[in-house]
Amino acid sequence: MKNLALFHEIAENPYDYVKKVKKESGKKIVGYFCSYTPEEIIDAAGVLPFRIFGRGGDSLADAHLQAYSCSLVRGALHDALSGGLDFLDGTVFPHTCDSIQRLSDIWRINAKTGFHIDVVLPVKLDTKSSGEYMADVLRKFMRDIENGLGVIISEDDLKASVIKYNRIRSYLGKIYRIRSENPALIGSGDLHAIVRASMVMDRDHLLEELTKLEGSLHGEKTAGKPAGKRVVLAGGVCNLPDIYSIIEDSGGTVVGDDFCTGSRYFEGEIGVNGDLVESIAERYRERINCPAKHSGLFTRGEHIVKIVRESGARGVIFLFLKFCDPHSFDYPYLKDMLDRERIPSMLFEIEEQLPSEGQFKTRCEAFIEMLKA
Amino acid sequence: MTGNSQTPDTEKEKRKIKSVKKMKEIMTNYYMDAKTAEQTGKKVAWITSGGPVEPLIVMDIIPVYPENHGAMIGASKMGVALCEKSEEMGYSRDLCSYARADIACAPVNGGPIGGLPRPDMLVCCNNICGTVLKWYEVQARYFNVPLFILDTPFSHTGFSDEARKYVRKQVDEYINFLEMVCGKKCDYDKMAAVGKLSVQGQRLWQAVLDTAAHKPAPMSAFDAFFHLALIVTLRGTSVVVDYYTGLLEEMKERIASGISAVPNEKYRLLWDNLPIWYRTKWLSEKFAAHDACLVADTYTSAWCGSLKYIDENDFLGTMAEGYSRIYLNIGVDEMSETVIEMIDKYDADGFVMHSNRSCKPYSLGQYDIQRIVQEKRKIPTLMIEADMVDERSFSESQIETRIDAFMEVLKAG
Amino acid sequence: MITLGIDVGSITAKAALVKNGKLLSTVVIVTGYNARNAGESVFGKILSEAGIAKSEIDGIVATGYGRNSVTFAGKSITEITCHAAGAHFLNPAVRSVIDIGGQDSKAIVMDEAGKVKDFAMNDKCAAGTGRFLEVMARALEVDINDFGKMSLEADNPARISSLCTVFAESEVISLIAKGEKRKNIIAGIHESIGSRVAAMAGRLGLTSPVMMTGGVAKNIGVVKALEGKTGKPIEVSEMAQLTGAIGAALIAMTL
Repeated sequence: MKNLALFHEIAENPYDYVKKVKKESGKKIVGYFCSYTPEEIIDAAGVLPFRIFGRGGDSLADAHLQAYSCSLVRGALHDALSGGLDFLDGTVFPHTCDSIQRLSDIWRINAKTGFHIDVVLPVKLDTKSSGEYMADVLRKFMRDIENGLGVIISEDDLKASVIKYNRIRSYLGKIYRIRSENPALIGSGDLHAIVRASMVMDRDHLLEELTKLEGSLHGEKTAGKPAGKRVVLAGGVCNLPDIYSIIEDSGGTVVGDDFCTGSRYFEGEIGVNGDLVESIAERYRERINCPAKHSGLFTRGEHIVKIVRESGARGVIFLFLKFCDPHSFDYPYLKDMLDRERIPSMLFEIEEQLPSEGQFKTRCEAFIEMLKA
Repeated sequence: MTGNSQTPDTEKEKRKIKSVKKMKEIMTNYYMDAKTAEQTGKKVAWITSGGPVEPLIVMDIIPVYPENHGAMIGASKMGVALCEKSEEMGYSRDLCSYARADIACAPVNGGPIGGLPRPDMLVCCNNICGTVLKWYEVQARYFNVPLFILDTPFSHTGFSDEARKYVRKQVDEYINFLEMVCGKKCDYDKMAAVGKLSVQGQRLWQAVLDTAAHKPAPMSAFDAFFHLALIVTLRGTSVVVDYYTGLLEEMKERIASGISAVPNEKYRLLWDNLPIWYRTKWLSEKFAAHDACLVADTYTSAWCGSLKYIDENDFLGTMAEGYSRIYLNIGVDEMSETVIEMIDKYDADGFVMHSNRSCKPYSLGQYDIQRIVQEKRKIPTLMIEADMVDERSFSESQIETRIDAFMEVLKAG
Repeated sequence: MITLGIDVGSITAKAALVKNGKLLSTVVIVTGYNARNAGESVFGKILSEAGIAKSEIDGIVATGYGRNSVTFAGKSITEITCHAAGAHFLNPAVRSVIDIGGQDSKAIVMDEAGKVKDFAMNDKCAAGTGRFLEVMARALEVDINDFGKMSLEADNPARISSLCTVFAESEVISLIAKGEKRKNIIAGIHESIGSRVAAMAGRLGLTSPVMMTGGVAKNIGVVKALEGKTGKPIEVSEMAQLTGAIGAALIAMTL
């Protein structure tokens, strides 16, 4: 029996969940942005990593951020300034893009969310010196978070966290594959909820639930309506669960993604032999890169084509935040690559909420109407 | 017949900066050299405005600046058409207009000089922003030439040892890259000499900007926007040293003869962010009509801001820190300190901030800088929302109203 | 076989009856604020005009902004797919469609069967839509139906650079105050809308022949501006406003 309800509950009410955890266990909560945050280190420090997204509402951000910044930074800042994140014991800002970079300064000056740590990761991921720098930065981060929390992270602590994260990520990967092979077994909206919950849940509890879920999916027989036209989603941060039901109602079936809040979040295993920090750094270097990082000129394009081919998808829907510069710069070349591969694609810039007039629905329907079955 | 009192025309002539003519000559020759490089067998590198040009000078590579080209496109009012073209190519209207205009230019050889010469290599330093990384990736795909990225980690509250080590390593990698592309070794003696010239050039540029501390200022920020070109593009050459030596002389003469940028300077203002390239004349005249002179700005002073980190006797060793700790690569609070220093140094009565849609590192954080400045110096601030090259984001009557209202506040205060 | 297409737009609701692949009858009414009523209303009207009973209809497809409120339709299909099918019916050689509607604009490229290959939409911003023209008509105190004719007489189109409808309106007001001729301002407005839509269409790569559909196609000034900006001749059918409904009726035949 699937324990999906739990994942949905947590995904829809992450704040209630995490405040409850803090109250009941006394565990400290450390907020973070971005899938480049070395969560393993935060977990090894004995605290709960909580990914910050903002939750609608950005008016308090107006005094600090112009309208031409994305809804992620505006929404998150609003949340912090309104006291919504007061339960945080600390916040971690990895280097990502120009907007997060400036958000960090503005946050440090104006918000009260515990200690503030910048993890100035390299932008280049594909050179020897950037790899060395990344390992240096991770070691510095370990010291900073030890100071921020007043704890020591032992080698054993770190190893245990790495092993835990490897298992969590492995299960998430398996569940994605099960979905791709058999969409009727579990909904894409369910997958979204699972990954979303994975970013805020007590990681030990998460591992238990993922183990149960994956096990139960194995035992399931195919049921339900025939799947629609297979599509892959490409982009960055997507915190809009409604997207999945709209795509499905339009006759589509999501069978893969390269989202920061999707497959990129859990891809990549960390080697446990040898220097752990080096191995952690390797995972973040080798994993398919966010467009805010540099790792070759065609890497993302090749990766998206690969996902499409492997999942038998008929088209790609690009979804990324309005005002997201790195994604917007990549889009034209990605579209060109897909055009050359004869893979139809569609772009929809998203904001904190979907527009109310059904614009996404219309475009989605039109796109799926266009695809071959 | 006219009497011996000066007519308005000769008055205006006197006020014009004579060195402008020389600058135009130098820049024309520079672009001509760049455009004929193929024939002369020289290599061309496209480099970012904050990038380390000195090694290019050492290796006899002609440096070309798409951002400088972007400024020219803006000034020639060709920005809108090129931005529209880039949008047709699939680039979002919300992206940096320098990048959009340049990306659109390449396939059509657009812009005021018929396009930039093809690069043999691309050198991208992300000290100014993350956009240049993406822009140069686009051009690397388009031109299919080698790309070197100098990754200068951000200094939120200080420059870390880890970053210093990383950037220093990359400086060596950069030299190796140039040696490989050019097929020749780097002359380190020449490097030391070019380093010294670079520092000398930067000091002279600082001295030129310093003259505006005089009351009245012999030059304005709008003049600085124009004279900036050489320290950006040819830093490390003697051409730059000679030019700014001459310009500095001229400024001193103007001070001695009582020639000021604004005839009746009553209000001294500080400008923040990139210029609105297609409206510099309009803005200059608008403020001058209010007897206001923009005496200094945070943009042009960025090309001498690293002097405090560079040792002219060890240019190669210290340039890592010099290039990393520029104005846009530091935290908002440190930027505010710089602004306050400038307000004090130039005795500014007001602060004009250009909220430039195209530049997130420069514009996001302005509201906090504005607040800090108001708290610490209690001077009024004007916020102008526009874009540096895309005129579609400039609403004339709205901006005019704001300038007038701001000046009313200043005059009343 | 008799099929019906109903296109409920934000401003007008249209219906088209197709019998054995031939256009039998068409009707246009004002939508008003109730899309559901408009759907029923236009349905009733076309039945009585064509003298056909409800039972004779073999299939109904609804399209347009209000398509989901036409509950009696067999299926709802987006106006993108329907405009492509409708344009194909009006001229099978057509390979691209530009549709400027009341509150969005779209560009579509299609294959030789009238099927959509790719499309682009501007549905977030009023500039570049029929709404933009309405706002301007109000500011100029000119009947919007005269826009096309007047702009053709322009001798020096004004330049309107604002991206935003609201600011473009203040530009227009400034131009009026400066004594600029109305015909030149209108031509400038058309150039502005033409630029926006052409840029969007340019992303797709328009292939000739290009057809313009939708209500704004009646405005010869916009058509000419679009031709200028895209560099391609643009044909306009008399049935331009009905393209969506016609396409819907045709698609109903295949269901």
